[in-house]
Amino acid sequence: MKKFLALFLAAAMTVCMLGGCGGSQETKETGEETGAQTNATEADAKEGARNEQAAADLDMSKTVKIGILVSDATTAEALAFRNYYTEYIQKQYNVELIYSDELTDAAGETSAIDTFITNNCKAIISFSSFDRAAQIEQCEGASVYYAVATGTLTEEEYETYKGYEYYVGAIGPSLDVEYETGYQMAKHYLDQGMTNFAIYGGAIPYYTEMHIYRAAGMLTAMVEAGGEGANYKGAADRDAIIQQIFTDGEIVPGAIGTINVLGYVGGYDMDDAWFGKCTQMAQTPDLQAILAVGNGSDFFGTAIEGTDVKIASVDAYASSYGEAMTGGMLDYLAGKFSASIGPIFIATYRAVLGSPVRTEDGSALALSQGYWIAESADDFNTYYAVDSSVETPAYTKEMLDTLLTADYGAFKEFVEAYSFEEIQGMK
Amino acid sequence: MKKNQLKKYIMNLTPLFGLVVLFAAFLILGKIQDINISYGLKSIINQSVVVAVVATGAIFIYTLGSFDISLGASVAVSALIGGMVYNKTENILIMTAVCIGVAVLIGLFNSVLASVFNLPVFVTTIAMLSVLNALILVLIKVNGTGSEIAVPAAAVKGLNNTPFKVVVLLLFFLVSMFIFSFTKIGRMQKFQGGNPVCAKLSGIKEKKMAIIAFAMSGIGVGIGAFLSIIYAPTLTKNTASSVGMDVIIAIVFGGMPVSGGARSKIYAAVIGAFSMTLLSQIMVMFNLNSGIGQMVKAAIFILVVYLATSDQRGKMLPR
Amino acid sequence: MKKVIVEVKHMDKTFGSTVALNDVSIEVRRGEIQGLIGENGSGKSTVTSIISGMQKADRGEMFFRGEKWEPSSMLFALEKGIGMIVQENGTVPGITVAENIFLGETDQFKTFGIVNRKEMILKGQQALDAIGASHIDAAQMTGSLDMQDRKLIEIAKTMVKKPEVLVVDETTTALSQIGRDIIYKIMNQMKEENKAVIFISHDLDEIMQVCDSLTVLRDGKIIVTFDKEEFDEDRIKTSMIGREMQGDYYRSDYDGSYGSEVVMEMQDVNLADQLKNFNLQIHKGEILGIGGLSHCGMHTLGKVLFGACRPSSGKVSIRGRELKDEADAMREQVGYAAKDRDIESLCLNASIRDNIAIGGFNRFAIHNFLVLPGREKKYVQKQIDELSVKCAEMNQDVSALSGGNKQKVVFGKWIGRGSEILILDCPTRGVDIGVKQAMYQLMYQMKKEGKSIVIISEEMAELIGMADRLIVMKDGEIKKEFQRSESLSESDIIQYMI
Repeated sequence: MKKFLALFLAAAMTVCMLGGCGGSQETKETGEETGAQTNATEADAKEGARNEQAAADLDMSKTVKIGILVSDATTAEALAFRNYYTEYIQKQYNVELIYSDELTDAAGETSAIDTFITNNCKAIISFSSFDRAAQIEQCEGASVYYAVATGTLTEEEYETYKGYEYYVGAIGPSLDVEYETGYQMAKHYLDQGMTNFAIYGGAIPYYTEMHIYRAAGMLTAMVEAGGEGANYKGAADRDAIIQQIFTDGEIVPGAIGTINVLGYVGGYDMDDAWFGKCTQMAQTPDLQAILAVGNGSDFFGTAIEGTDVKIASVDAYASSYGEAMTGGMLDYLAGKFSASIGPIFIATYRAVLGSPVRTEDGSALALSQGYWIAESADDFNTYYAVDSSVETPAYTKEMLDTLLTADYGAFKEFVEAYSFEEIQGMK
Repeated sequence: MKKNQLKKYIMNLTPLFGLVVLFAAFLILGKIQDINISYGLKSIINQSVVVAVVATGAIFIYTLGSFDISLGASVAVSALIGGMVYNKTENILIMTAVCIGVAVLIGLFNSVLASVFNLPVFVTTIAMLSVLNALILVLIKVNGTGSEIAVPAAAVKGLNNTPFKVVVLLLFFLVSMFIFSFTKIGRMQKFQGGNPVCAKLSGIKEKKMAIIAFAMSGIGVGIGAFLSIIYAPTLTKNTASSVGMDVIIAIVFGGMPVSGGARSKIYAAVIGAFSMTLLSQIMVMFNLNSGIGQMVKAAIFILVVYLATSDQRGKMLPR
Repeated sequence: MKKVIVEVKHMDKTFGSTVALNDVSIEVRRGEIQGLIGENGSGKSTVTSIISGMQKADRGEMFFRGEKWEPSSMLFALEKGIGMIVQENGTVPGITVAENIFLGETDQFKTFGIVNRKEMILKGQQALDAIGASHIDAAQMTGSLDMQDRKLIEIAKTMVKKPEVLVVDETTTALSQIGRDIIYKIMNQMKEENKAVIFISHDLDEIMQVCDSLTVLRDGKIIVTFDKEEFDEDRIKTSMIGREMQGDYYRSDYDGSYGSEVVMEMQDVNLADQLKNFNLQIHKGEILGIGGLSHCGMHTLGKVLFGACRPSSGKVSIRGRELKDEADAMREQVGYAAKDRDIESLCLNASIRDNIAIGGFNRFAIHNFLVLPGREKKYVQKQIDELSVKCAEMNQDVSALSGGNKQKVVFGKWIGRGSEILILDCPTRGVDIGVKQAMYQLMYQMKKEGKSIVIISEEMAELIGMADRLIVMKDGEIKKEFQRSESLSESDIIQYMI
């Protein structure tokens, strides 16, 4: 009886094997050959007519496998991005996008990249950043293209890696954009005459630059509105404030001239004690607005119900936030639109096909792209309708196709015209 | 009688048989799907080696009929402290020694505490799990950048290659096998796991066996921590978080009876760790690495365990 | 000739590759207590379990009261009039005595779905009184009663159904004299009522005393049936093992001398209510017998001597050195075979090799540490050969062996390492006669070599037959000491035990 089962196990394996033959849309070429071809073609392109490359030269007949690293698969933002890639991009272009399991640390990233490389992925687009340097090195060593899906590299990192052949680049809000986002957010309420704020610091305790810069923007706006001699712990300009936050690893509540920071919560502990702190902060007497460097409505929305406190978040365009806005739990959203990851996909795809887009001096991309700002539920709904559409998303195939053959200048221009109005104007 | 012996022999070999089948399947399917097989094999070794080492050390504990739920956290703490020490001394050898030293201390702490308070050891490991998890957060906050402790990648790059890792695994495995199968310690531990009452009446001291087992396991944990640092030098609070569960799955997959005793096999860990990784890789080939893939993995897991323990069910055990 | 009530014709039963019954035909008569005896594996339990509905035969027919008999279950059989009492525990501890007696049959007390407890307890008590076990309260929790009382409950449960045929399968070995008397009384009652009893036991003396006829089985076949007049111990033993028993069963000599050197000593040892101000000396070359009722404390004594139980006061010393624990005892070459063999003396799911080798590291391991398979095997094989352990090979699981062979493995474990002092608790329990004899001879041999043996046993014949000195215990104290003598009899001893 047990012997029979052992044989059955072997048979099941064999069936799997045979089943594997039929299942996928595969190329018959080996990875090494295509890679060699790509390198050769790339060298030519660099030498000669770098900018002009007829669309006909791009051979899109063979399916290209691209690995996607995700460190977070359940937030609204992650789901929106995935939706755009699988429901739109994968259907419009001859690519197979393979998603990793949710990664929790750098070792997971390395394993996932190894697995992608083993399975002949030609490129990797990464939403995970536990160890950015290791990822880039790993891909460069294996001759696999690597792109940062959202976010940017630090200045030092960019300096180190911009010359790497297989590092495609990053398109995301630059630190300046982040700073500006925080600044505008705070200013929106300061202009309304508000003076009492609380700040949610997100990943500031982990020294995540984008959150620090957003908070710095908020504090600078407050310093400017705080009157004569207003300062945050002695710092009164952008650089000094950034420095201060880096030193402290947190925002220290207190008075900034006439403006008051009544409370601060940071991190993502998400245990009972931490949620308690969030609720307590949201219910501080005289509080007028909570400015969040990341998601705000999820953590503070329920606590402010029935009050007039406003919540401002930096997040994505997901239906739950629309509901939050309509329900009064969210008042201001600086959000990523899901099609924002379209251009980086095109840049990666082009690199695989042998026509990479690099800067004038041959460096990787570091383009800036920012948020759509919704100040009301109506704003949100308008933006969301476009963003969540799988027939005509913000960046449609027609628009992205122009990027396939664009030169660096045109590419940069396209990406930097990221506001909702500008994009609608492009269509 | 002879037929029964033969049947028992085959049952014991099922996990090995499974490994061979999985390996062959990986090679054949890989060829068909046209993947980069040599890279894949390298990747499999990288992904299996930490679990294989830690699990081999853990076999000593499981043989006793005990278990240690804090192994993953131990690996993390040992790696973190090792990383911190490296950043202060810039010496790989010292880092390695510290990793192993810390891990052995944790193991001894578990077993000595249990001995002093007369508790079954797994109880102290449950408590240690919480303590170690808290310690991980404290270490990172106090000594790292708030979210990580990073050893410079350049420092470990030289060791981050397959032959080195295989050699480390092999050495540890051989030493473990020696102690397990060729010394009286291994025999006594198997006996203790098989029947603790009879073991006591045969002059075997339960506490002494536990302390030795946890010390061996500590060495495995320390080596595992060292290998973790080499593989991914940026250590966060999630480093080695899945090791605890992976160890249990690996040893069961490899044919080790979870209640320990006479049928314990020192090689179960290595077989199981590699089998698991091969299975995962095969699932990925069909883009089944979540959802359905997990279900298939679970089904095969149950089947393997059923076959491997078939001769034990239905018998009356004296516990 | 009394009337036949149960008849078995040409019955076969096989378990896997083992033939349990081979063309067995039996007749059971009314008004008779028929004994069934045989070594382990002879088939005696198999045939009665088939008669009482526990399992089915592969071939053959059965008749009960002249009609074809094919019971579907034990409950069915009991309803129809054939009941069986077994050796193992058959009661549920977590419920009352009355509930155990009427287990699965509480419907008779139900009105509108509610059980009338008072009536059940009343009827339960009546059942207990009927068998002479009035000391048991039908309302109390079964778990609080000892093994013997629980067995009596099972008996009451069976007798409540007033069976016409009662099978008693090795039940008496677990009972004290009181329990045995109750069973004998029931059996005789049934005999007088012209009903039938099938009595299975290992105890030859008991069977010869109690039965009217005796059927001997060996290797699944009926060998011979003796009528009471023909009962002869040697003849019966010969038919059981299939050959003439060579030599003596116990010792042939009556020389109870031993060395003067005291190898082990207990001084003023106290342990709860098990041992009270206990003083004992064991000498070189002595076989010391310890007897008493089950709860007299002698089993605890064995453990204290081996260092497994620490006394609350007093001293245990070996050759002058105080004993601390088991490892200490082993270092002083003391060995211990526990009464509960399967749990305390053996690791059942380990091999014969493991079980013997575990005691001998100081002998075959290099520097008492390094184990080389070659040396280990040699060490184990020596014991297997010298003790004639019947097994396929040394890597076989010990659980597959018969009781006698298991005990041989236990002996091998202690003798192999050169134990000088052996403490044996019920060493021949569940062991076949042939093997028993071999063990007795071995013990005598060891005595001659100057080793010391302590035999703790509930079998008086064994103690009388083997001991140089016989100590009777009661309630944790030594009541009487006997020297080896030809004229010593069981009745001499019993009066001090009770």
